[in-house]
Amino acid sequence: MSKILQIARREFVSTALTKGFIIGAIIVPLIFMAAMPLIIWLTMLAEAPKVEGELAVIDRSGQVVGTLQEYVDTRIARDREQIAEQMEKSQELTGAMGPGGAAQGEQALDMVLGEDPEIVVHDLGAEGDEEGAKAALRPGEGEGGGEGLGSRLGLAVIDANAVRKGEDDEAFGAFQLFVRPKLDDRVIDSMRDALREAVRQGRYREYDYDPAFMDALTSVNAPNTREITETGEERASTQIFTMMLPFAFMILLMISVMIGGQYLLTTTIEEKSSRVVELLLSAASPMQLMTGKILGQMGVGLSLLLMYSGLGIASLVYFSLGDVLDVWDVVYLFVFFLLAYTMIASLLAAVGSAVNDVREAQSLQTPVMMVMILPYILWMPVTRDPNALWVTILSFIPPVSPFMMMMRMTSSQDVPWWQPPIAVAISAVGAYCCIWFAAKVFRVGLLMYGKPPNVRTLIKWVRMA
Amino acid sequence: MTSVRKTFGTKVAVEGIDLELPEGSLYGFIGPNGAGKTTSIRMIMSILFPDSGELEVLGKKSAVESKDRIGYLPEERGVYRKMKVLSFLMHMGRLKGLGGGAKLRDHCMTWLDRVELADVAKKKCEELSKGMQQKVQFIACIVHDPDLLILDEPFSGLDPVNMRLLRDLIREQHEAGKTVIFSTHVMQQAEQLCDHIVMIHEGKKVLDATLDEIRTRHDPRTIAFSPLNGLDRGLVSSLAGVESVDDGEHGVEAHLAHGADPGGVMRAILAATPVSRIEIRRPTLEDVFIEIASGRDGDAARLREALRGGHDVAGEEEQA
Repeated sequence: MSKILQIARREFVSTALTKGFIIGAIIVPLIFMAAMPLIIWLTMLAEAPKVEGELAVIDRSGQVVGTLQEYVDTRIARDREQIAEQMEKSQELTGAMGPGGAAQGEQALDMVLGEDPEIVVHDLGAEGDEEGAKAALRPGEGEGGGEGLGSRLGLAVIDANAVRKGEDDEAFGAFQLFVRPKLDDRVIDSMRDALREAVRQGRYREYDYDPAFMDALTSVNAPNTREITETGEERASTQIFTMMLPFAFMILLMISVMIGGQYLLTTTIEEKSSRVVELLLSAASPMQLMTGKILGQMGVGLSLLLMYSGLGIASLVYFSLGDVLDVWDVVYLFVFFLLAYTMIASLLAAVGSAVNDVREAQSLQTPVMMVMILPYILWMPVTRDPNALWVTILSFIPPVSPFMMMMRMTSSQDVPWWQPPIAVAISAVGAYCCIWFAAKVFRVGLLMYGKPPNVRTLIKWVRMA
Repeated sequence: MTSVRKTFGTKVAVEGIDLELPEGSLYGFIGPNGAGKTTSIRMIMSILFPDSGELEVLGKKSAVESKDRIGYLPEERGVYRKMKVLSFLMHMGRLKGLGGGAKLRDHCMTWLDRVELADVAKKKCEELSKGMQQKVQFIACIVHDPDLLILDEPFSGLDPVNMRLLRDLIREQHEAGKTVIFSTHVMQQAEQLCDHIVMIHEGKKVLDATLDEIRTRHDPRTIAFSPLNGLDRGLVSSLAGVESVDDGEHGVEAHLAHGADPGGVMRAILAATPVSRIEIRRPTLEDVFIEIASGRDGDAARLREALRGGHDVAGEEEQA
């Protein structure tokens, strides 16, 4: 036992207490978190150049183009307001809006939107040449042209019956908007909305309705959805968290299992290729060596899991969203970590013992890695319907069982109470089988050099040992 | 070891070896590469398990139960490249059942001092030269003061100074009453160090005797000399007790008839012709080995080549 612990201790110390690990596991995620606002800011900055140009209009109804410029201008202003509102809402949700947040919001808005686009309506007349106007939209045409209006951004062709329905028409006509390629979609939206507004207001006038009354009539202003918590508090809807929670749990589980397992693979290969393994085998049995190594790297994975989940829980509690977490989910997270890690790690230890270098490990490692990727791919369908038959079945099949069950348990629907313990039991049996298999391969593989084995050779070794 | 046999796939690595090593003896395992030395040693260490036959190590059924009393220096040896020398030794010591922090540290430092490596204790193993690493490995193998030392090719890759240092350390262990087994394919090393030789050839034990027994059994039958002037071969070969004369690698070699007195023949040669050098050729282990092995398959030249050049007679065992 003391030998196993000594091996585990060396494994942990030589992995977790190295500069590379500390930088990789602790500092890199922190840098990412810190860099996130910067990255967002930079992405937004890239969209900021001011858009200037003209919107050509062929108004066959003759009743829209006159007021269009006015609506274009108000529309742009209103779109900006709406974006500002949305930003505020999302900030309220994450609780990041501190004092002075409003001023920051205004600044951020300038960064996001840049200066207001300037769009000038250019009337081509009711009988304007549609084909010729379209040609002017082609990239390279019209830019810096003689008209002095900058480039042409779009062409709107308004139907003759857009404002007044003809006798034989079943419905009102509308408009068709043509734009140049690669135009910022916010500018396109502004033009569309302005056109729509202009047509609508034209209709009100045509049929003698009071525009202000019509606006009031058609607008229903419902406040944001609020959630009532167990303690009776109100807060913004946490729907996004109920989607993200299973993902977060699954990713936590995956990362800690994967990192521990990968280190186990590389240290095993290193011990074998540096030929230190025979020296070790003179002091400990292959089983002791493998157990020690698995335990040591389990410590590495567990430290990561503790650190990351601790951070996650702390931030949830800080934003008083602690109640979206069930304590049992956290307990199961650690139980499932132990089981999933044992399965994956012992398989990787077997792979590591069988090959001569990291490159050879690739092909044998692929099936094990596929198992890890599967829950990642299935995240969306599983959170949508966590109790679907196929999901339920998958959550009982090791080695994906821990990942699937974890996702189901943290999703919005309840999992029948008896299912998690059964998944734990099945996974425990799976873990035992993996260790049994790995121990056999490990014993034979460690002293085998030469041709890298395939899966069939591994099975032969298991029979041999 | 009793009729121990081990095969890798279709290749028989060790075939029915019987061997008994008395406590406190210094045994040399010799034989060309691929003869089955490492496989035998690995079976003694319970790293490999024999297909048939029985083993007993230090009174136990298997080395697994007495690992802490055995020191093993494998042929395929290595160190943790990223680990510091002292930490590596302490790790190995703890694995071998030694406890204690400061005491173990002092113990390891004493040993490092003995092999003149005290100044690299804080360096990483990968910074050491191969010879230095080998000395570290040797310490790792005896740090827990084992009763049985198994050294597989301990001298390979060492310069003459370190070879002597290591030889002295091995002798010292032997004099302290430890049982030592070491394997080598360089017969001279065995000759210099061992009191008992076990020779393995193609998985079989072909010789198991003390060095003195071997020497008396294979008594000197060659007199080598360098004549000063031209030599009348007829004259020498006609001397009493001389069977034949030819040019060997040590000059002219006169092979003696069975039962002839080497001293008498030497005097007769000296009387017959002036020489710059004359000696009785004592058979080296290499000669003995070739005599024994070639008696079995009659291909002395190939064997001599295999022993000298050290290239594989039967390929790497692990390749099976």
